[in-house]
Order: sequence, then structure tokens, then C-alpha cells
Amino acid sequence: MSAAAETDVLPKGVLEVVGPEGVPLRFEAASVAERFVAYLFDLFLVALTGIVLYIGGFIVTVATRLGEPLALVIALAWLVWKFYFIGFELWWQGATPGKRLLGLKVVSEDGAGLTLDGIIARNLMRDLEVFLPLTILLAPDQVFGDAPWYLLLPTGGWIVAMLALPFFSREHTRAGDLVGGTRVVRVPKTVLRRDEAVRHSLAPDAPIVDAWTFTTDQLGIYGEHELETLAALLRDAESGKARPEDLRFVAHTIARKIGFRGSAPEEDPRRFLRAFYEQQRAHLERKLLFGQRKASKLDE
Amino acid sequence: MKGARRELRSVTFRKEREAQWQELDALVERALKKGLGTLNEAELRRLPVLYRAALASLSVARRTAMDRALVDYLESLAARAFLAVYGSRKGTRGVIRRALFVEFPRRVRAMAPEMALSLVVTALGAVVAWSLMGVDVGWYDAFVNPALAGGRDPHASTEMLRGALYGEGGQMEGGMLSIFASSLFVHNAGIGMMCFALGFAIGIPTLLLLFTNGLMLGAFLRLYADRGLLYELCGWLLPHGIPEIGAIILCGAAGLHMGRSMLVPGRRTVPQSIGDAGRRASMVVLGSVVLFAIAGLIEGLFRQLVTDDTIRYAFAGFNAIWFFGWLLVAGREPRRPKRPAALPTAKGSGA
Repeated sequence: MSAAAETDVLPKGVLEVVGPEGVPLRFEAASVAERFVAYLFDLFLVALTGIVLYIGGFIVTVATRLGEPLALVIALAWLVWKFYFIGFELWWQGATPGKRLLGLKVVSEDGAGLTLDGIIARNLMRDLEVFLPLTILLAPDQVFGDAPWYLLLPTGGWIVAMLALPFFSREHTRAGDLVGGTRVVRVPKTVLRRDEAVRHSLAPDAPIVDAWTFTTDQLGIYGEHELETLAALLRDAESGKARPEDLRFVAHTIARKIGFRGSAPEEDPRRFLRAFYEQQRAHLERKLLFGQRKASKLDE
Repeated sequence: MKGARRELRSVTFRKEREAQWQELDALVERALKKGLGTLNEAELRRLPVLYRAALASLSVARRTAMDRALVDYLESLAARAFLAVYGSRKGTRGVIRRALFVEFPRRVRAMAPEMALSLVVTALGAVVAWSLMGVDVGWYDAFVNPALAGGRDPHASTEMLRGALYGEGGQMEGGMLSIFASSLFVHNAGIGMMCFALGFAIGIPTLLLLFTNGLMLGAFLRLYADRGLLYELCGWLLPHGIPEIGAIILCGAAGLHMGRSMLVPGRRTVPQSIGDAGRRASMVVLGSVVLFAIAGLIEGLFRQLVTDDTIRYAFAGFNAIWFFGWLLVAGREPRRPKRPAALPTAKGSGA
């Protein structure tokens, strides 16, 4: 986690992990629903393993009339049950089959890498978080017995607070994550989009110099935000999502704003916009080298 | 390029590094989908190098690139690569062995105050039950769950109580013994884990659990002491009781450690403090699970098969030696600084 002041600007559900290299990386926290589904899937696998073990154990016990196979199965099923999550998170780099299915991963909050103790701690809390409330729902007598109200009230309040924790904490932290110093994040997807400053649509030997150049004054009007919006439009135009009249409208607006004279925005808005994008970007990057950043047209 | 104008800086930047990024992307994709094991040695060596290069690219791009698409790509690539590279920090070979014979005893020793409190609360429970039983034996039913007592209560004859210690009235034999043993292990280890987890409620339920456990122990001891069977009971109890009661006290201390971290976080925030304490304490629970397994084996097999008091006491002594050796000696740094890191593990060989 970063310092508190920096955390404040992070949107809800995004967490920052600083690895040993000191570069802060951002992850999206997994939602409660995603984690629940992953958990159900894992639970299903555990139950299946348990059932298979018990059936096998009974068959062997009946066939051999020995108690040992069943004794082994009792201990084995318990170990699978308790160490399924720990084992997978340790050997599959922080992902159980359910988590892998949903593209989730456990990371250590301090960025130092998952450790055995963190994995064990977060999974030991599961019983308390899942099965204690479940037992209370199904068989309240077993937990509370005839406890007086002054014991029931704080206990109930505590359990409710613990259950509510993932819904209200900004990184959907459950009690186990807190105790293990871990968080569950979505594995990010990578898509390298084309660089709009490179002329993909032109033949390789086509001249890259345009007939028109913009003056420094003209380039000094817009900032990074507008540049980014323009890049998105160009990308849409390339994939056929933007209509020609949109391009013409934008080209026209830009031309008017920067005081560009000529018929280019009308005749070939796409080419005009592309040329403007390139030169605007070069201009902003050049300014950045001197430490002058222009976030948007409202800057300065 | 024939053009008169120079290429954009950010375009050059991307062109020079794009192949490296793609290479990293492909490696990470495989590592995340199929596991790190599918990478060969050369690829494994390449991964961190490429990862650091990508981080460097990201740092530069965040500051200087005007291309949002590029920065977004590098952000997600670096984050993905982080998950592959730092998924679990250490090589997993030897992790368990190290956890049991180095980390576990060290964490136990570092938790001395909690350990003492856990022990005192259990002992207090035992003393209270012992004293109250002196006033009125009827208290027994309040302390000991009849299901666990199996008829061993104040109404039972001395003969019956004595017989229970030596496996007479023999309902258990052969296969049933082993089923009994593994059920006991499952039951006790579950309680130990709960002792730890309940530490999350500032340790109060943990204290209660330890106290009731002490009450049961005290009531049981008094019941047998009143019939003049204390020596025989201890012979029956100690062989498995040393690892079992020891493990419950350890798990209780682990829970109390977590509770303490919430009440007295020191300079850190409460969540940070819980995280640190929880990780330290979890190692103690891991070791305790092994202790419960050993106790279950002794309880289910040895205790029913060996009925000679002297042998029982001798075995209890043996258990005490490895138990305390494990907790107090194992995992200590050798005195001389220039020794290889190989640590003696023989202390735990009773396991």
C-alpha cells in the first residue's frame, strides 16, 4: 500500500501494490460476487473429492473388514478440506482452480510476494467467516445454547460486522485478507493498441511529410486530454466505428479553434486530423522534456 | 525512413522496446495460464530481466509518453508480470520443512507472553474446577460434556473409572482404534484452528475457550484424584496430553497474539498490525496441526494398547523431551557466524 495521501486519489476498488522494484502497480480488486463464485467452485471440488474419498473408503472397508482405510479417509478428507486452498495458493502462485477460472489472484498487500504464513493465515479465518455464521443460521442452539442477551448481542454484532467487511471495505477485504495481509485482485488483461502516430494505413514508401504544418501557437492551445480524445477518435475511424461526418465536424472545430486557414479540414478531415495529432503530440512531448506539462486546454 | 522530419520520440521509444514487451507478454501468459513450471530454465532467467525492463519502460512512459494506449498497455503488462514473478516469493521446495522446524519454534519463542497467558488461563480453569469439585462433585456435569465423558462421571464406580484407563470394558479394537484416532485428530485440530481464528474478536472467545478447556481438565483430574487414581490417570493422560494440551495452548497463544495486535497496534495502523500478527501466529497453528496429528496417533493407538504405567510414564517423558526440544531449541541460529545455514533438525525427530 502506498501512503495514505496517495491512496485517497485511488478510485474505489483499485489498489496499489509497490513491488520490490519500487514502482507502484495498480490492480482492480476482485468484487465480492466474483470471489463468491470462485469460492463456490472450489467448495464444489473439495466436496467432490471428499465424497469420492469416502465412497472409496467405505468400499475398501466393507471389502476388507478393516477399519484403517476408513480412518485414513477421515484424516485425508479433513486435510483436503483444510489444505486445499493453502496448497493451491502456495503452489499455483496465489490462485485456486476457482480463482483461476475467474481470473483472480491473491497478492500480498505489501508487494513483497505471497508467503506461506500469509496464505495459511487468510485461509484459517475461513471457518470463522463461513461456517460459524452458517451454523448459527442452521442450528443456533449449538453455538449460543442458552446464552444471555448480554453475550448474544456483542457476539451477533461482531459476526455481522465481520460478514459485512468485504462489502464495505474499499478493496473488498475479508477478515482473512486482513489477517494474512493479502488482497484478491483481477488479473489484468493486456491489449497493445496501435500507435496512432504511426501511419499504418499508408504504403511503407509513402511520404510521411504532410503538406501542412502547424505553428507553435496553434499547437499550444490543446493539452493531453484533448490529444487523448483525438487518438480515440482516430482509432475509431480506423476500425470504421466513427462516421465521416463526425471526423469532419471535429476537424472543423479544431481548425476554427486554432485559426487554421485552408480547405483541408473539409476535403480530407481524416488526413488533417492525423497530421494535427502527430504534430500536437510531438509538440507536447517536446515541452515535457523541459518539464512543462499541459493536461488540457484549460491548463496554464 | 526517407522523410525529412524525425520520428516522434514516443514512437521510437515504443519501436525499440516493443519486441521485448511482446516476449514478456508471451512468457507471462504461459506462466499465468499453465504455471511457472512450464517455462524452461532460460525462460525463467529471462522473466525477471524482462519484467524489470518493462517496469523501467512503464516509469518512463508514465512521465513522458503522450500515448494513453501505450501507458495503459504497460500498466497492465507490468501488473500481469508482477503476478507471475512475485506470485509466491520463495521456491516452494523445502518451504514446509523450514516452516515446521525453523519458523514454527521461532514464532513460538517470540510469543512468550501470550504463551504464558494461555497457560495461566488454562491452569486457572483447572484450579477453579478442582476447587469447586471439592465443594460439590455435582459441578462436574457443568464442566465436562457428557458426550465426551463416556460415563466417566461422579456416579461411576471406582472400578469403572479405573477400567476406562486401561481399555477394559473393551469396546475398541483393531480398526476401530484407528478410526477413533483420526476422528480425535480432526476434532482437536479443528478446535485449535478455531482458537486462532477467534483471536480476531480481540481474543476474548479464545480466552473463554482456553478457560473451559482448563475447567474440563481440572474436573477430570479431581474426579480421579478423589478415587486415589491420580497417578494412573496421569499415566494415561500425559503421553498424548503433552502434544495435545500443548498444541491447544499454542493455538490459544496464537489467537491471543492476534487479539493483542488489535488492542495494542503500536505505531502501525490496526489492519497492518493484525496482518503482521496473523502471519506470525499462523505458523504456530501449522505446527500445532502436526502436534495434533501426533497426539491423535498416540491417543488412538498407543494409549489403548499399552497398559503398563511405567511404560506410559517413560513414553510421556520421551514425548516431553522432543516436544520441548522442538519448541525451545530447534531453529536457533548457530552461535558462530560463519557456519552454513544448515540447521539441526534432529530435535523434531520424535515426529
